[in-house]
Amino acid sequence: MGKTAYDVLQHYLPAFPRKHAGRIITDTTEFMNIDYGDVMLLEGRHYLVTKNLSERRFGLEDPKYWVKRCRALETGEPKIIKLEFYEKFDVTLGSIQSTCYRSPHKESRILRLVKNDMRYMQGETLNDSIGNCVRILDIIYGTELDIAIDRLDMTHEEYFHTAFPEFFAKYIEAVQAIGSLHSHGEQHGDIRRDHLLIESGTGLWRWIDFDYVFGLRGNPFALDLFGLGSILLLLVGMREVTARQLAHPDMAAQLKSPLTADDMALAMPYRLANLQKRYSYIPDRLNNICLHFSAGNKVFYSTVEEFVSSLLTCFHDLPLFNTIRTRYTTL
Amino acid sequence: MNIYNFLVAFDSAQPSFDAVKYTASIVRSIPDALITLLFIERLPDKDLFETEKEWRAKCSELSSEYKTTLYKAKTLLLRNGIAENAIEEEYIVSCSSPFEDVKVCSTGQLVASDILRIQKEGHHGTVIIGRQERTKEEEFLFGSISSDILHQFEECALWIVRSEC
Repeated sequence: MGKTAYDVLQHYLPAFPRKHAGRIITDTTEFMNIDYGDVMLLEGRHYLVTKNLSERRFGLEDPKYWVKRCRALETGEPKIIKLEFYEKFDVTLGSIQSTCYRSPHKESRILRLVKNDMRYMQGETLNDSIGNCVRILDIIYGTELDIAIDRLDMTHEEYFHTAFPEFFAKYIEAVQAIGSLHSHGEQHGDIRRDHLLIESGTGLWRWIDFDYVFGLRGNPFALDLFGLGSILLLLVGMREVTARQLAHPDMAAQLKSPLTADDMALAMPYRLANLQKRYSYIPDRLNNICLHFSAGNKVFYSTVEEFVSSLLTCFHDLPLFNTIRTRYTTL
Repeated sequence: MNIYNFLVAFDSAQPSFDAVKYTASIVRSIPDALITLLFIERLPDKDLFETEKEWRAKCSELSSEYKTTLYKAKTLLLRNGIAENAIEEEYIVSCSSPFEDVKVCSTGQLVASDILRIQKEGHHGTVIIGRQERTKEEEFLFGSISSDILHQFEECALWIVRSEC
């Protein structure tokens, strides 16, 4: 008779309570049934499941049963394990409906591509006993970009002249990281502010979650560009600047000129893209990049390379970045 | 470049049928004109499917659908007064095709550049493409091959045909 989970746990984690020891799992297909105390055996390595993970969206916890927090018993390292799971769902962007797919194999391929490149999450793929693609991910200890910005206790003007220049430099590096994926024919697929983590200690900005893919054959990288634009608006504005905030009489009086539909973001008519209207000290050149993601724009960036080129010109030319430029000589 | 050597970029959507019809109506009175119908195959990403089998089945379905519509475009030219010997078809296979192993293929990511490369190689003096009406969101997300060609086009004539033309 083979070893039980308890046998394995007793060897590696003698203090683990017997009553919580689950089963040895070699086939991960039924991931809903894999829970705390189970031990997954993948290509000879043991992973103790410690928790099912959830995702934070709009203030709600969304359980993701195919994602487990684990402990690698041979090394003691904590890991996040993503089990093979396919789904597709429609997403709406303004007037457009598109279908989004979850592809474990795509994420595996990207993990191989970005191995040892710390601009991205790191991990490897192991197969379970029936060939399911299981991704073993290193945990990044850090803060999502939006939360990091939200924690700043200062006015926008103070932020713009102190914290923002460094954020902008880091952002360019993060955009270059996406450009690097594109140059290998890969897309990130789900660029969102909470998929860019600021790692504690190193301060590195690191992309996570590569398993989404969109069926946009006309321009497969457009959705990544759209996501990058959305993050840029967040960074420049310090937070989302919405039509509702601006409708307040006090606020309306501070605007450079009345708002029009063209000032709002492409596909997001509630969100301001022409941020200079709200914050007049935003330089034209930087604001012009933001305007590329506005409803009034006529010429779009067609590649991330083009977008990076505009960002870099801004970074090198604007006095706003004088103090930070010497620290980012590779840009 | 020979201005009577026409290249029609055809993608099986209605605007490209309209462009084919428009071309026929202009070209049928021109002696010795040659019309090449160009189709650049674009197949879905393998990542969109759970299994290789499903992906291959979809690719097979699309590939035969594209070839059928290309044949329909040729029929449309014939019905509109273009002689059979004045029509050529060029079907550029997708580089990700599971069925074909060819030297020349398209990645499907730079379709406008592919069209213009074929235009230069084939000495086509006139390029014709249909244009679909799109919202800004659609143009951002789906791209616009006619806009891309317009920006990149350097030689001879480009006809961009709107459906209501």
